[in-house]
Amino acid sequence: MQHRLTVCFGVLVAVLAFSPVGFSQSAQQSKTNRAKTNTAETEKAPATATATTEHLSRDLSGVWMQYDDGTAPGFARMNGVDDRTRPPLTPWGQEKFDAAKPLMGPRAVGGQEDSAALHCDPSGPPQLLILPNPWEIVEIPGRMFMFFEEYHIWRTIWTDGRPLPKDPDPSWLGYSVGHWEGDTFVVETVGLNDKVWADLSGNPRSEQMHLTERYRRLNHDTLEQQIIIDDPKSYTKVWVSPPKLHKLEPKWEIAEWFCASSELQTYDQDVRKPSGGESTEPKK
Amino acid sequence: MKGVNHAKGVMDNSYRIHSQVGDPFPLSFALLPSIPARFRRRLVSPSAVLTGVLIFSPIGFAQTRTPPDKASETTKTPQPAAPLSHDLSGVWMQYRDGDVPGTPGMNGVNEHFRPPLTPWGQAKFDAAKPLSGAKAVAGQEDNSALRCEPSGPPQVLVLPNPWEIVEIPGRVLMFFEEQHLWREIWTDGRPLPKDPDPSWLGYSVGRWEGDTFIVETIGFNDKEWVDLYGNPRTSTTHLTERYRRLNHDTLEQQIIIEDPKVYTKPWISPPKLHKREPGWELAEWFCVLDENKDYDQAVRKPAGVAPASNK
Repeated sequence: MQHRLTVCFGVLVAVLAFSPVGFSQSAQQSKTNRAKTNTAETEKAPATATATTEHLSRDLSGVWMQYDDGTAPGFARMNGVDDRTRPPLTPWGQEKFDAAKPLMGPRAVGGQEDSAALHCDPSGPPQLLILPNPWEIVEIPGRMFMFFEEYHIWRTIWTDGRPLPKDPDPSWLGYSVGHWEGDTFVVETVGLNDKVWADLSGNPRSEQMHLTERYRRLNHDTLEQQIIIDDPKSYTKVWVSPPKLHKLEPKWEIAEWFCASSELQTYDQDVRKPSGGESTEPKK
Repeated sequence: MKGVNHAKGVMDNSYRIHSQVGDPFPLSFALLPSIPARFRRRLVSPSAVLTGVLIFSPIGFAQTRTPPDKASETTKTPQPAAPLSHDLSGVWMQYRDGDVPGTPGMNGVNEHFRPPLTPWGQAKFDAAKPLSGAKAVAGQEDNSALRCEPSGPPQVLVLPNPWEIVEIPGRVLMFFEEQHLWREIWTDGRPLPKDPDPSWLGYSVGRWEGDTFIVETIGFNDKEWVDLYGNPRTSTTHLTERYRRLNHDTLEQQIIIEDPKVYTKPWISPPKLHKREPGWELAEWFCVLDENKDYDQAVRKPAGVAPASNK
């Protein structure tokens, strides 16, 4: 157990991540905060992106963890894909969004949740990137791996110069290539299926999504991640979320965390349903 | 089973299997929602998908009841003279090795060498209702794969699908196409943990002994079998894997299972050869519960309805 420093923490986060209780509070607060932070947030984005004059490291490897950055008080920290900067939805996108019954957020209704996680479906980018659990980058020649503690998912980003595929088949993780632009590592992904949302609030991911992730290692302990969603089928404009900081956790190792359907029932029973059953009605 | 029945002598079987399911390639693409047609672009395409289909078909396994020629199986491993490479990286694939006629490829954990079970182990084994093999009964299968539960070693090691080894400082990473699993083997000299929490993959450390890379794993849960036939795995299972890269294109893998709670002696399976597939890349293959239902309906159940133990 000593090796697995992340276990307890990871599980705790899992509990909290799926607890509508936490989110119903945040939903309430976030409504008020939203107005305040909306402009502040968008103004903040370029500020974070201020380039240092020094050369940044091109080694992104390590175990990373996102924390509440304090920019959205009361709102959960899963704002790497930031609802507050979302452009207007297309009619198709709106329909999908309205049909989604998230487990959390202001639209959550106890007993009606249909998050894919409830049946242990795989997650995928960008949703996977915003889950507040440890994840690791490993770089080898020609490839970067990302390992996510949640769902024990791994993903490959090809860095051998290959282009994105022309006609990829839709998949949970998509097909990703990466390249360096100065100090920024740019990951592009296509070929995503529409079975998982872009976030946890029900914002759609369509097969037309072109996802861009921009990474900069601001200093030894800090990785900046920015998620840019270009999905004309769902969104009327490109959805540019503000950069999000991740902290290096040099002593952590990714623990085993599978979503197993046989365990899920117990989990629902013990954790999700008791909290979700009664108190998910958005408080006014 | 084994879609990759290119080895001579087994084509008859594979054709027979194919005729049950129809033309295997297009069908498997159409019926495997969790295995996207992306395979077509990847080099692994037909074999992996077909294997996926057939792996769960009891029909193919009915033939495993043919008694093997144990002698020929154990004595076959080539003995190299020169020092072997310590670089195990690459995409590997096991094929039917032909030394056990009638046995499908998935014999890395070889039932023919299983020691007697303890009473406890026997009870567990008897309770298991595998999807394949001699004990399979259509409609009663309870393989955890049917619920998309994670696989784990040693079972994941015997599945006849592409897998990859990547070595980085302090760790050996193994990636398995089936279920998109990955596991890490610590090579930084750390000992096995004293009191690990049971998990699907266990906790693995590895070291070199001469030309052999030895992986030891403990800390398993008992929710998965060691193979596809219902042989139990428990929290006291101590798994040893021995790897040698016999030549550039050949990896030898030997699986040794110790579990006094289940088996009266260590279960030492004969080494199994894996072939390097330099042009392959692992495709995305998740087990998805929603898609699994369609898959059962269209692929597994129709096959399962056929007699599971026709001789």
